[in-house]
Amino acid sequence: MQPLNHVLLHPAIQVGADLNRWRNAGGGVGLIMAASQPAAIIPTLQAADLRGMGGAGFPTWRKWTAAAAMVAETKYVVCNGNEDEPGTFKDRHLLRWTPHQVIEGALIAAIAIKASHVIFYVNPHQADSIAEMRAAVAQWQGSDLLAGLEPIIGQPVKLEVIASSGRYIGGEETAVVSWLNQGFPFPSRKPPFPFEKGVGGQPTLINNTETLANVPHILNNGADWYRALGKGEACGTKLYSLSGDVLNPGLYELPMGTSLRDLVFTYGGGMLDGRAFKAVFTGGPSNTLLTARDLDVALDFDSVRARQSRLGTGAMIVMSEGTSIVRKVADYVEFFATGSCGQCPSCKCGTFQMARLLDRIATGRGTAADVGALDHLCALLPGSGRCALIDGAVTVVKSALQTFPEEYQRPAAAGGAPKANQQT
Amino acid sequence: MDEIIHLRIDGRDVAVAAPASILQAAMADGTALTANVGCMGQGVCGACRCLVRREGEKQIATALACETRAEAAMQVSFIVYFTPDKPHRYDIAAIQDLWQLSDAVDRHFPEAAHCRHCSGCDRACPKGLSVQQGVALSVAGDFAAAAAIFEQCVMCNLCTLACPEGIWPNHLGLMVRRAIAALTLRPSDLIRRLNEIERGAMTPDATEKE
Repeated sequence: MQPLNHVLLHPAIQVGADLNRWRNAGGGVGLIMAASQPAAIIPTLQAADLRGMGGAGFPTWRKWTAAAAMVAETKYVVCNGNEDEPGTFKDRHLLRWTPHQVIEGALIAAIAIKASHVIFYVNPHQADSIAEMRAAVAQWQGSDLLAGLEPIIGQPVKLEVIASSGRYIGGEETAVVSWLNQGFPFPSRKPPFPFEKGVGGQPTLINNTETLANVPHILNNGADWYRALGKGEACGTKLYSLSGDVLNPGLYELPMGTSLRDLVFTYGGGMLDGRAFKAVFTGGPSNTLLTARDLDVALDFDSVRARQSRLGTGAMIVMSEGTSIVRKVADYVEFFATGSCGQCPSCKCGTFQMARLLDRIATGRGTAADVGALDHLCALLPGSGRCALIDGAVTVVKSALQTFPEEYQRPAAAGGAPKANQQT
Repeated sequence: MDEIIHLRIDGRDVAVAAPASILQAAMADGTALTANVGCMGQGVCGACRCLVRREGEKQIATALACETRAEAAMQVSFIVYFTPDKPHRYDIAAIQDLWQLSDAVDRHFPEAAHCRHCSGCDRACPKGLSVQQGVALSVAGDFAAAAAIFEQCVMCNLCTLACPEGIWPNHLGLMVRRAIAALTLRPSDLIRRLNEIERGAMTPDATEKE
């Protein structure tokens, strides 16, 4: 059995908003080490190969280097806790049970890029998380640790908890900026990237909650320690949100690169009611489905990408035989259609149209022409939006169409005349 | 000889002699159109709303298939018909003046005041109407100007899909159009002619032909 929950979710540090207990459990050491050697922060993260845990897997040190290189009086660090996608429930846990771990990571980021403002952007639907973060931030105000950062950064550091819009699209980083600038969370085209022009037009570093939570541990224990935590080429640990038809769904912190089989069958306790494993929707769920032949895949960014899928947020929604893939895809696409902001007609109309076609097919009212139209939308839509929402929605539809074509054809065959463009 | 162009509509490869509208192209192979078809080329019913991607373009536009010329290598996806999540029920005859109309707009379309000015509706409108401005004018109480903007609206509903605030701009526009028409005095020559018809001095054309 691999070590479970021994860094970010270690029982000793799940103390909630209690700064004293957090410090007694070893908290604060990473921050003190970072403050003593600010120039070593980014090289340490580079050596550790810390990646963005929000789904992209982008090297964290590169983002920090870009933000650090910007010259500005005021800079911002934003901890992105908007987490809203189906099947992902890691950041809310970190914010609720280890708020000081996240705050410490964000403060180290502030030292690294010389930012005077740190914003915790939290989904208001997660009432416990936002309340705990507010309580935790209040404990930092006036603390010796926070005051000690002023000479290093050159000005006092302001900590703030701001409720996000609670919309799915609000997690996209340009939408984060838009919301924090008092606007609707509309994504915008990049460049300019937030590190160039973000909150208040100032350079802004936006990182996922889990990414920041890792930072104090890396500073405290060193890059080599972090690298050794992972399996194979992968580094560190990963929070996997396991749900669906498994015996023990839940949040698991495991070595990055743990196999899908281990996650589902060892930690997840296997399939519910002994049913056969069918497929997994990975973190989003806007990625290519993993199937039984992918059970051996190591769940890290690069290995999953090699299977033409993505690790995403680390959410694994497990489906058993007997579950309709079309129904699940229809539900997820409906989620994306609802979450689309409407700026780009192709995204809003395209996801809506896919959802309607999928619903017809899933309820046995579809025709072969509907399947053709759906397939065609998968070719038509990608790349037409300002952000990646439409591309993600298409990816899951396309993947399900390719992996489980019989599920689409079966109800379609029972439907109307194949050439009729029947619509209800 | 007519040029034959090839395009892809809802996953079907279609060949049609140019010039032709997308709607004509969709029927070119004999496929019976049982949906997304209404006024057959007059551009007044909004049934043939579709997404269109032209060769080499990244952007996808919304369009009415009957009013858009088919182009080589074009990709088209029709969008199904749908109705509002909640019906807007009102009695136009009960609205006696513009103040009452203002109240009625607030009551039936409370979301309209939350417009984010994102222009999503403008981009979605296949008729090229200034939908967002129409909504803003309605909220501001300038109903005659709003009604004028929505005059060409064909109720295709695409603006409603685009709105992140859940406003139904075209239904708001329809209400304003109806109310303005009901509240506006008819031109004197129209009133005179209606009176003539009522007292039998003038028969409607349709009756005359019988």
